[in-house]
Amino acid sequence: MFKNNKMKREKYDVIANIIVIFFAICSLFPLYWLVTSSFKNSVDVVKMPPDWFPQTFTLSNYVDVFNNQPAFKWAFNSITVALVATIALLIVSSMAAYAFSKLQFKGKNIIFIIFISSLMIPKEVMIVPLFRIIQDLGMVNTLSGMIWPNVATAFGVFLLKGFFDTIPDSLREAAKMDGASEFRIFFTIMLPLVKPGLGALFILNFVNVWNDYLWQLVVGQSEDSKTLMVGIATLMQDLNPNFAYKMAGAVVGAIPMLIIFVLFQKYFTRGITIGSDK
Amino acid sequence: MKLKDTMRENISGYIFIAPQIILFLVFLVYPIFEGIRLSLFKINYQSETFIGLANYGKLFEDPIFVKSIINTLIFVVFIVALTVLFAMFVASAIFDKNAKYVSIIRGAYYIPVMVSMVVMSMIWSFLLNPSNGLIPFLARKMEMSVNFLGDTHWVLPVIIFVTFATNVGQAIILYIASMIGVPKELFEAAEVDGASRIKVIFKIILPMVKPTTIYIIIMNIIAVLKIFVVIQLLTGGGPNNASTTMMYYLYNNAFKYNQLGIASAVGVIMFIITLLLSVPQLRAMLKKD
Repeated sequence: MFKNNKMKREKYDVIANIIVIFFAICSLFPLYWLVTSSFKNSVDVVKMPPDWFPQTFTLSNYVDVFNNQPAFKWAFNSITVALVATIALLIVSSMAAYAFSKLQFKGKNIIFIIFISSLMIPKEVMIVPLFRIIQDLGMVNTLSGMIWPNVATAFGVFLLKGFFDTIPDSLREAAKMDGASEFRIFFTIMLPLVKPGLGALFILNFVNVWNDYLWQLVVGQSEDSKTLMVGIATLMQDLNPNFAYKMAGAVVGAIPMLIIFVLFQKYFTRGITIGSDK
Repeated sequence: MKLKDTMRENISGYIFIAPQIILFLVFLVYPIFEGIRLSLFKINYQSETFIGLANYGKLFEDPIFVKSIINTLIFVVFIVALTVLFAMFVASAIFDKNAKYVSIIRGAYYIPVMVSMVVMSMIWSFLLNPSNGLIPFLARKMEMSVNFLGDTHWVLPVIIFVTFATNVGQAIILYIASMIGVPKELFEAAEVDGASRIKVIFKIILPMVKPTTIYIIIMNIIAVLKIFVVIQLLTGGGPNNASTTMMYYLYNNAFKYNQLGIASAVGVIMFIITLLLSVPQLRAMLKKD
């Protein structure tokens, strides 16, 4: 706003921004401490007073994490679960969102209202019956068990319907006149037009599923089916008392998301804000 | 011909929504009804005995459950209030500055959100560790001898702070986007009147972003209601159940004590709370369509 009178930038504004910058640094400090601690040796990491800047530099904690723990397997599981759940969600929810937005069928409004009412209900509150279903389907200790409940969310339809709504109906009618089938219209005309929505949904859901700790903890009890989040959390109870080792595990858990954030920052901002603008 | 077209469109409509609706029925609707049913039974491995509302009665007689409700309530009130106020303050201070600055500040607050509660809980548990953590060390320097996670008076404020610090980035992003969207003319008019920045924030910006505020409040209430990770990894509900929450209580009953009926009853209570809380947001969303 007050761009044209920089001269009289107010005192409040200056002080407020100093406070904001100060807390922004505070907010990053734990991560700084995490990363530097993970490179310290087991003595330096608990030294008091601490080394604010690491005096020693060792990669041995990381070597230990990957040697003692199946960290690659965990990471592979996490990526598989997040990727498959997200791709499946993109497919089923873009189809449903398209139908709710553009097609006319009996009961459409009532189905949509019931479906969208579930938007804010976290699956965790129904974790007992949900776990029993997974048991009945034989999906305990499988990645499928972690994947499918995450594809049942209404969030994808909610997000994508807004994108389909902005496409004029005339586009679909014209294609119909040319004799195109509904599937053809959907895949070749409509889907390319909602690409930004698909991008935002991809990122948001990938992160959500990646961080779906409680459910992954419950479903993946065997060593083989542990995900990265569950795996690194077990390091906290690990007999190894070396904090630098635990912190190296935490860094390994943090890195994939940090990479995604840096690469796709634009989509994040867009995706997160979609639910709130009226 | 016309009739045939409507028929065909009906059928395509159902085909397009079928996969999503089937998943919705199997993994969301059915568990809700099954959860309500289970909450009325006493469940022992294979046998189920109908006991009416006895599970609910038992719950409210259990001081730990009552404690978990009170704690959850305290967390919701303080974390949501802190998050909304702080995010408002940060966003209103930076949203009209240059884009690079905005994106750096936004990133700094958002990275902890990205990194996930599991990782952040691990860091905080190291920082707060009584024997070799940084924060107890600094506290001792200031002549304070506090066991942050082991003292029943400190454990709630510490969890409130950690959760707030890890999650506030999301609200900041929402507010910045919403404040950037406020029509410029309003600011220009205020400028002509010589209004101070504080006045502009309170009289123009905050009223204009009210829908965002409601959204943030509801989303955060629901997120804090199911608070679990930080409890499990930082305190384990302790000391002496001082930091137990409804979700942690539910998890323990379901997967540690094998009290599935009790756990389901907690789930039903939480389900009803979230449903009631989401009504205003849903109403606003459906009105828009």
